[in-house]
Amino acid sequence: MESQNQYEVDLGNLLAFNHSHHFPSLPSSREELVKECLEEGTKLVQAIADRLFNLPSTEDVDGPIVTLPPPTTKLPRSKHLPKPKPPTKWELFAKKKGQLYVSITDEKVLRYFAGIKKRKKDKVVWDEQTGTWKRRFGYDRVDDDRDVPIIEAKMTDEPGEDPFAKRQEEKKKRVAKQDKNRLQNLKQAAKVGALPSHVQLAATALPITGTQAAPKKFTKHELGDVAGIAATSTASGGKFDKKVPGEKAPKHQGKHRKFLPVVEGSGIGSREKEQTDKVLNKLFSKHSHEILNVEKAVTAYNVKREKKQRLKHNKNVEDKSLSTSNKLKPKKQLNKKSAKKGSSKKGKAK
Amino acid sequence: MRPLDEAETTAVFEKLFKFTGNNLKNIVENPSHEGPDPNPGRYCFRLHKNRVYYVSESLVKRATNIARPKLVSLGTCIGKFTHGGKFHLTIQALSLVAANARHKVWIKPTSEMSFLYGNHVLKGGLGRITDSIAPGDGVVVYSMSDVPLGFGVAAKSMQDCRKLDPNGIVVLHQSDIGEYLRMEDEL
Repeated sequence: MESQNQYEVDLGNLLAFNHSHHFPSLPSSREELVKECLEEGTKLVQAIADRLFNLPSTEDVDGPIVTLPPPTTKLPRSKHLPKPKPPTKWELFAKKKGQLYVSITDEKVLRYFAGIKKRKKDKVVWDEQTGTWKRRFGYDRVDDDRDVPIIEAKMTDEPGEDPFAKRQEEKKKRVAKQDKNRLQNLKQAAKVGALPSHVQLAATALPITGTQAAPKKFTKHELGDVAGIAATSTASGGKFDKKVPGEKAPKHQGKHRKFLPVVEGSGIGSREKEQTDKVLNKLFSKHSHEILNVEKAVTAYNVKREKKQRLKHNKNVEDKSLSTSNKLKPKKQLNKKSAKKGSSKKGKAK
Repeated sequence: MRPLDEAETTAVFEKLFKFTGNNLKNIVENPSHEGPDPNPGRYCFRLHKNRVYYVSESLVKRATNIARPKLVSLGTCIGKFTHGGKFHLTIQALSLVAANARHKVWIKPTSEMSFLYGNHVLKGGLGRITDSIAPGDGVVVYSMSDVPLGFGVAAKSMQDCRKLDPNGIVVLHQSDIGEYLRMEDEL
């Protein structure tokens, strides 16, 4: 609506145009331009405010509330118009099949075929078995493979087959086939550029327009390898080339694993001997605690000692009869000496 | 053919140590009187196509004249490295291991054939057994006529062996000389 000063005010967008304003000449400085713009802007804002307060308002706690009228300016579209989807394989087939045709089985009978109609499916289906309404798919669905208790054997069945497993496998195959078809349909749509928007967002690898291949991303590792190859592909293997600032020396030059020579001198070399001896010593020291069986050594020693004592007793018994004190003595000595003797034996074994 | 590196040598020696214990030194520093040299050389370990061979020095030197793809075997093969890097002793190590074994087991003639078919040694088949065997030790299995039949790992210690019922496993089978016939291709 045009009113005073030919301002066009669009209250729905809180917008005001002044079609007939033009700057007489480019002002010399930026500040002057800014001043002029502000002046004109205030006039426009004043026009909007006038209109706003003229609207019928309702009282509210925070103040008068005004409902804005719908906007009148047509803003340009931010996104492109959706491209028509190419028909899926099934749709093509249904269209082809659905063309009304007449089948003459014999001269007297004519059969009409109405074509494949798209029927709307209900979410819940009446289940005869349980007598309730069950979902068509999902948890607790109508015909679940797991609910089948008995499968009757047919003449075509082989004796070793598991029919339940067979049903599950067939279902898996059907699902896989359907998935494949769905993906093929999406690919056809993507070729034309008519992917559904949620799929387009998810497919970051696919370009939005055109059908270029997605650019291959090179990792730092790969770049390093390629740079190395380029650096050494000169006549002298890259040895005398000036390095670019920031270029580092190549890593992992030459062999990555070092082996001893097969035959050094005549057969075993000193280095190999060194290595084997080192490994051997390590091994022995690791298992040194197992070499000596301390209990065995201790019992052997005790037995020896007891024998000696017995011989001594037999000698002394002829002189005098000894009491239990002697029996205690050897035991005491054994407790003391066994620990010592055990440790010294350890030294010997090494 | 190449010598073993440190990690591989440790793996091989560990396995041999289970059977021989301190006698491993005898294996490594065995003087070998092969070859025309009057001074006895030593035996060394060489790796060729994931198999470890125990060869005398003089033989190794001569084997370097054979191209790698054409070389089939040298000396005695004592074991193989698996794809995952683990080392297994094969039956060809028996002569070496039996000469330096620490723990031995003699089995009765009735259970000899069972062992030679690859079964474990049951308590009912045990004849004699050396003492102080800990579970997990390497054990060499002999027949009553002192013929080495193979080797294995002790399943239980000496005391537990006595308490076992006659069908309990005493020695877990690892290799036996029947493998020369059964697994000819894999040796």
